[in-house]
Amino acid sequence: MSGLNRTELMAFFLAEVDEQLFVLEQEILRLEEDKNSPEIIQTIFRVAHTLKGSSAAMGFDVMKQLTHEMENVLDKIRHRQMTVNHAVVNVLFRCLDHLGALKKQIETEGQCSADIAAIVKQLHQFEHQNAAAEQEKSQEQESGGWMELNPEQLKEAVEHGFQIWICEVHFNEECEMRVARGLIIQNNLNDIGRVLAVCPPLVSDSESAIHSIRFAVAAEGGAETLKSVIDGTADVQEVQISPFPVVKPLAAVPVEEPAKGREEQRNPAQAKPKAEEEIRKVGQTIRVDVERLENLMNLVGELVIDQTRIAQVGAVLGDRFAADETVDELEQISNHISRVIGELQESVMKTRMLPIEQLFNRFPRMVRDLSQTLDKEINLIIEGKETELDRTVIEEIGDPLIHLIRNAIDHGVEDADQRRTSGKPVRGTIRVTAHHQENQVVITVEDDGAGIDAEKIKQSALRKELITAQQAENMKESELVQLVFLPGFSTAKAVSDISGRGVGMDIVRSHIEKLNGIIDVETSIGEGTTFTIKLPLTLAILRGLLIKLAKTTYALPMSSVIEIMRLPHTEIDSIKGQNVVKVRDKVIPLVWLHDAFHLPRSSRNSNNLFIVIVGSAEKRLGLVVDELIGNQEIVVKSMGSYIGKLDGVSGATILGDGSVALILDVTGVFKLTGKESQLLSAELPV
Amino acid sequence: MEGAQKQYVVIELGIEKYAFPISEIYEIIKMQKITEVPNSKVFLEGVTNLRGKIVPIISLRKKFIMKECDRTKSSRIVVVNHRDGIVGIIVDGVRQVTRFLDIQPAAETVTGLDGRYFEGIGSSEEGLVSILNIEQVLGQ
Repeated sequence: MSGLNRTELMAFFLAEVDEQLFVLEQEILRLEEDKNSPEIIQTIFRVAHTLKGSSAAMGFDVMKQLTHEMENVLDKIRHRQMTVNHAVVNVLFRCLDHLGALKKQIETEGQCSADIAAIVKQLHQFEHQNAAAEQEKSQEQESGGWMELNPEQLKEAVEHGFQIWICEVHFNEECEMRVARGLIIQNNLNDIGRVLAVCPPLVSDSESAIHSIRFAVAAEGGAETLKSVIDGTADVQEVQISPFPVVKPLAAVPVEEPAKGREEQRNPAQAKPKAEEEIRKVGQTIRVDVERLENLMNLVGELVIDQTRIAQVGAVLGDRFAADETVDELEQISNHISRVIGELQESVMKTRMLPIEQLFNRFPRMVRDLSQTLDKEINLIIEGKETELDRTVIEEIGDPLIHLIRNAIDHGVEDADQRRTSGKPVRGTIRVTAHHQENQVVITVEDDGAGIDAEKIKQSALRKELITAQQAENMKESELVQLVFLPGFSTAKAVSDISGRGVGMDIVRSHIEKLNGIIDVETSIGEGTTFTIKLPLTLAILRGLLIKLAKTTYALPMSSVIEIMRLPHTEIDSIKGQNVVKVRDKVIPLVWLHDAFHLPRSSRNSNNLFIVIVGSAEKRLGLVVDELIGNQEIVVKSMGSYIGKLDGVSGATILGDGSVALILDVTGVFKLTGKESQLLSAELPV
Repeated sequence: MEGAQKQYVVIELGIEKYAFPISEIYEIIKMQKITEVPNSKVFLEGVTNLRGKIVPIISLRKKFIMKECDRTKSSRIVVVNHRDGIVGIIVDGVRQVTRFLDIQPAAETVTGLDGRYFEGIGSSEEGLVSILNIEQVLGQ
């Protein structure tokens, strides 16, 4: 402790709070699903306790107070003095939000002073309510409370052919020493069978509270035998004996199952290891300053470049001194180095990679809150949580994804009545998936809602003068749907605070463009909508397609390249002065980047043109290039502030021969060539 | 005179001689391959690779609206510090390192160029040399 200064302590504290709040959110969500799991409550309690401890140590009283109050309530739940219901879950969520806000405040201001009176009052209310509930509970226990049975014992008893009975013994009012009487009965019962459980427990301090005792007994004899044993005890007013309800299936199915069914308070056996596993996972990571990783990445980038250079020099020497053994050796060394560097690069990349889980885990809470606000039932399915991608990509993709999901809930999924009428399950489904596809990650957001009505889109776009009537006339349905990505577009009639401010999809698009990604939308009326986003795995090193314009080499990010083709001049059409090419029924405008870059168009005599079809978000464009060189890993380097932002160029990279090649930014190319907005290939009749 | 202690690097551009304060110079390299950057500043020659760093290169001839001439063996790139980065300036040649006996403020026009490009005129035994104001030379 003494070796750490306050700043370091603070960093540890904040990191811990982060971790704990994450666990808290996950557990509360789970609690909502399974309200009776003692393990979940236990975990939440532990989190509150840990937070209380560390915030007290750091002197953050407000946080300490809040977690203390939480602890009180959770403790009651833990001891089954109150039950978990919807209201409790909501308050726990609110506590979580408050804790999050406190943490932020601590982070920025170094102290926390927020007013938590309201939330504390709510927690207090629960405690008081539960004082009443406690009474109820004890009565409930008298009349028909539950008993905890050891499944092992149950199983054994059943295997030995015993019947399980529940014997409820009521004492008369005057009975004294009830605990002792109970113990006598227990002994007697043990003579003819085996007492598996007793409720309430027979300890002396519960004397006055006991009005009746319930025994779970495994015995060979029938109800009558048991009754006669108990009836022999003094002060017994009444005896009720009933068979334990799940005895029959016990023989057939694993014993844990019925035991759980009988006593819901028991937790599914598998829940615990899972929770522990999550905690363990958190414990196994170390925190590294992002800057150090960036630096490491830069150094590896240098190595990648040098390695390519060595390989090239080796090849030249190989040509020159074909017979020399040393050159052979150089080649071997060079090959080995490139393998090692390749692996090094991959490992360093991996350290920057995070499972998208981090981001996806935010969704259940959001969907829950939203569906409550909108009063829609939503089933959120998340797949591919473990898919890894660069942390910068994860940071950037968060907002667009949240937006898409919000849209899906708000506009996509219909309300319950409508769904019922159209014969769909009332509960809407939203599926968010992620998976790798070659060097890209593909994320989809899918809903089973109403779908996007192309006609409505058209009308709306016309009304907002985003397209002309003539353009609209010529557009296919699939093209109309793409209009949702236009700036200023929104079909929602009313603007809610959830979505529909008319900026949404535009923002989604611009974020994805920024990441060199591609977005596609597929929709079918009445069945739902799917958004597919394709992103590069990382922004620091990417696979680039090297091309030549005039005599200069440029790199195109592979993630933006849709396809490469070679076409004879005769295949090129001209519509209204715009050169276009038809690819599988889709009209794609052709662009000579030479013009925009003030380079001479090549006068090659060849009959064929090399065309690289590139995409940015939903747009497609064909670039005419003079030469295709090939693809290779390129390290993205900034051009620095002196040159500043250039249209069509996103950065530079260093090629194998040490020269610099500019990396083309496809989004910028669209801007540069004026094919940005009007050309959703809309202007062009098909 | 505080200017007397400062060292300057004298460069050649056509028949003219200019001086850079040595404290502003990062390094001086020989000509190497420069990649053109489209649609950028007029006097920007392109970018080059300096030990893994992308360095913008400008042409002082273009900046001073002089006729471009073929690069010779003596052509050099003077890499100077500029804000957080470095920028290379192509010159016809690098002469020497010198100290000035006296520095006079620059006139409104110096050798036919706007006076704001210059910090002053230094005089040494070999004559007068205009001292470049790097901030202004690299600016618009």
